[in-house]
Amino acid sequence: MQIADHSLTARQHLLVSLCAGLAIVPHALHVPLPISLFLILLFVWRLAALRYPQFQPGRWLLVLTTLGGVILTFSQYHTLIGRDAGVGLLTVMMMLKILEVRKRQDLYVAVFISYFVIITHFLFDQSMVMALYLFSVMVCLTALLIEINRIKPSATTLEPFVRTAIITLQAIPIAIVLFVIFPRLNQPLWNLGIGSSGTTGLSDRVTPGQIAELIESPEVAFRVSFDREVPPVEQRYWRGLVIWDTDGLSWFNRKEQVVERHIQLKAHGEHSYEVFLEAHQKRWLYALDLPVSSKQNFRLSQDIILQRREPVRQSLTYQVRSSTEQQNRVVLPGMLQRALELPDNVTQRQFELVEGWRSSATTSREIVDLALAHFNSQPFVYTLTPPRYLDNPIDQFLFDTQEGFCEHYATSFAQLMRIAGIPTRLVLGYQGGEFNELGDYYIIRQYDAHAWTEVWLEESGWLRVDPTAAVAPERIRFQLRNDFGAEGSPAMFQLDELGLVGSSLRRFAHMLDNANIQWRRWIIGYSREHQFSLMRNFGFDTLTPLQWSLITIGLISIPLLLIALRLVLSGKKQPLPEIVAYNQYCKKLARLGISRKTYEGPMDYAKRAIAERPDLTASISRITALYIRLRYGPKADKSQTKKLLQQVKQFRPGRQKPGT
Amino acid sequence: MTRSSLYRWFRQFRRQAQPDTQGGVTVKARSIYILPTKQGLLLAVVLLAMLVGSINYGSNLGYLATFLLGGIWITSILHTWRNLLGLRLQPQHVDSVFAGESADFCLSLINPSNLDRFAITLKQKKNFGDSLDIPNNEQLPIHLPLVSKKRGLFKLPQITLHTTYPLGLFHAWTYAEIDLNCLVYPKPAERGKPPVTESYTKSNSGDRGVGSDDFVGLRTFRTGDSPKQIDWKAYARQQGLLSKQFGGDRHVEITLDWDLIAEQEPERRLSLLCRFILQQEELRHAYAMKIPGLSIACGLGSAHMQKCLSALARYGIADADR
Repeated sequence: MQIADHSLTARQHLLVSLCAGLAIVPHALHVPLPISLFLILLFVWRLAALRYPQFQPGRWLLVLTTLGGVILTFSQYHTLIGRDAGVGLLTVMMMLKILEVRKRQDLYVAVFISYFVIITHFLFDQSMVMALYLFSVMVCLTALLIEINRIKPSATTLEPFVRTAIITLQAIPIAIVLFVIFPRLNQPLWNLGIGSSGTTGLSDRVTPGQIAELIESPEVAFRVSFDREVPPVEQRYWRGLVIWDTDGLSWFNRKEQVVERHIQLKAHGEHSYEVFLEAHQKRWLYALDLPVSSKQNFRLSQDIILQRREPVRQSLTYQVRSSTEQQNRVVLPGMLQRALELPDNVTQRQFELVEGWRSSATTSREIVDLALAHFNSQPFVYTLTPPRYLDNPIDQFLFDTQEGFCEHYATSFAQLMRIAGIPTRLVLGYQGGEFNELGDYYIIRQYDAHAWTEVWLEESGWLRVDPTAAVAPERIRFQLRNDFGAEGSPAMFQLDELGLVGSSLRRFAHMLDNANIQWRRWIIGYSREHQFSLMRNFGFDTLTPLQWSLITIGLISIPLLLIALRLVLSGKKQPLPEIVAYNQYCKKLARLGISRKTYEGPMDYAKRAIAERPDLTASISRITALYIRLRYGPKADKSQTKKLLQQVKQFRPGRQKPGT
Repeated sequence: MTRSSLYRWFRQFRRQAQPDTQGGVTVKARSIYILPTKQGLLLAVVLLAMLVGSINYGSNLGYLATFLLGGIWITSILHTWRNLLGLRLQPQHVDSVFAGESADFCLSLINPSNLDRFAITLKQKKNFGDSLDIPNNEQLPIHLPLVSKKRGLFKLPQITLHTTYPLGLFHAWTYAEIDLNCLVYPKPAERGKPPVTESYTKSNSGDRGVGSDDFVGLRTFRTGDSPKQIDWKAYARQQGLLSKQFGGDRHVEITLDWDLIAEQEPERRLSLLCRFILQQEELRHAYAMKIPGLSIACGLGSAHMQKCLSALARYGIADADR
């Protein structure tokens, strides 16, 4: 066999097609259906061509197919650039390349494109499972490269994987060094035009019924790990968005929220915590009541919500200190007027209801209490599947059906308070959270989404009032469970009576989630800020490019030197015992004048030795057979080696042939 | 700069492994060259594209994958280097040939370490030889057939040991100077009758020349044979006319003499002498040889022939080579 011989075996052809197929599968699941079908067609075509070579497309057919692929991609995306269309085009081109792999060179190109395709998956899915899957595909591709670089095929399938594992393990320190110190940019190199994808999360418009969709989703919104003291569950209101305006149907903000950079909160934070936020495509960040300080340079809106300049497109980690005791007395001009505006469809019976409270109460606080008592005493039902409200949801909810969930309670309570002349605003966010003992943090899921209100009282500033708690205190104190009954049936709450199976299942789920958050914290969430604080720990404030390069080179050369040392030493280890024994045997024969020629294999040598000393036939052939079995046969156990050592030890040929 | 001039420029820096006392070469760490292959460069470009993509999308997993592959890229340098390191090329033997024939240089490639080696290629100039996998503590015979051009000592040219294992991203090579020489005899000239000086000496074995002393055998009658020679007894036995042949007791010694050859050009003379030696061997006629500075006594047989041919091969070549 020659290196100039570029032919590949049929098995290698099949393997490269399969590996590339594995690399592309996750894309095939989310590209438009026609492209998926086209990819499958190409793949099947390739397999058929491997089996029946007459199906292998000629040059012109390939050109036509390529054109067809491009046109198909364009027809699906109406463009060929950008993330989605680019990926679509890449998958099509890659499959076409697979189809035409013939020579060794093509195979390399196919493997390299597969590598590239692998990283494009991370634009869509950054989960640990996906990463593990793609890592395995990468290993398979690398093993394939190793296999085609040998002359004889490996004896076992495992062998190329073992070699890949060695190389990969050695590459990991280098990868880690580069990962940690490679400078991160906050801005992309060019505008990518990533549209907001279908990530679930709170919307900035509340139309009763919307949160209900969230409540069905167990997806993680964010995770929180408290430094020390954890506020009790009934105080864990994660504020995300404050809503002021309503048109009688839905609640929203007419004006862009004014972002004040210099709101000074004279407060000390009692709770210090770290939030691992999933991408939600919005600017706001979740925090407990009064976020007084944050290490990152976030902005604070007039309604005391942490905000980022850019929407959160990737998961984000941030640290906050919050005060739950302090009063929020931030009022800007016009704010209270805005919190009193009423929609046009306020009905007479609403005014009458509020008038009743006003006549019997003297202070605003009493009115609030009366309203809460109303929600509590009337037969209000907390349900996740309320009837649909069409033209005047608040009125119908308050007086007709009295079935709804947090959103209905919060919006109608806010409207009633505004009628009573108490400035009230709606707050959206999450409430509660599930504790993960293993990781010592709280998981806040989409079904923890909640809506409540804040009323302005002269004596206490903006005060949180949660009318839902008045109706269904379990909603606040216990976790809402994700198994829903029939339409209109009351929601079930998860109490503490979990069986053994349930608790161990939950424990396992927590373990997985803990692994997940470590993944988020250290891999996906690793940011410029982490990098800077790490650098500061090592005493560097800023690095010049030269310093950076030197440090990188230095840190990479350490593992490289260690690998080189290991590689050199591993060849110089003690030779295998069977070889030592055999060499001893050769030496013993050489003393009789029968020395082994360098070109002689053990068999030929044995033949020659037996011809010269027929009296030693038995021992020579025994030793030779044993040696050959140990050296070239399937893996033998240690007793065989021991036997050989013994045989050689006992091999004491006399100088003269007996009888001469 | 053209490819060949670049090659020449590069040559000035090169170190090659010199043969040790056994004439072989062990590949040392510092005599290995390593450069990316076309595929290695291609992967570097792909990695760069991956890096740009990762920067642009700020994808940490993209970074991680890119750096992991980059790490593999770098690590494979060491593995390719290791695949050559410590290998040994040991000269075995080479049979003498006539100029223009292919000399079969026999070497052994030895892997004295406990690591298996893969896809080791022996290259001589642009000729790729075999690619071999060599298991640990193993040796493999190598045959390098090389066409000899002119008579004299044909030194095994520099050999390149070459590998791209494990990933084909880098090729490592080393130049090995092996001490193995093939003695190349002159190319035999066309057949012809040697101009010889014959000297006659008495010999018990005699020869088949024409004489009258000893009976050597019978042959069919030819016109001109003396009637005394006819074996009449055989004729009486109806065996036809046969002539008795007699050989002399003298021995005709043929000396192939440099000075007797009409041609002037030395190489031509050597070629002619070479041919005559071969002819004599075919005829099984003993011969002596005389060339300037050396005369070889009369003899016959392969040892004698080799002696004579070697003398021709070495004619005019400084002894320093041997």
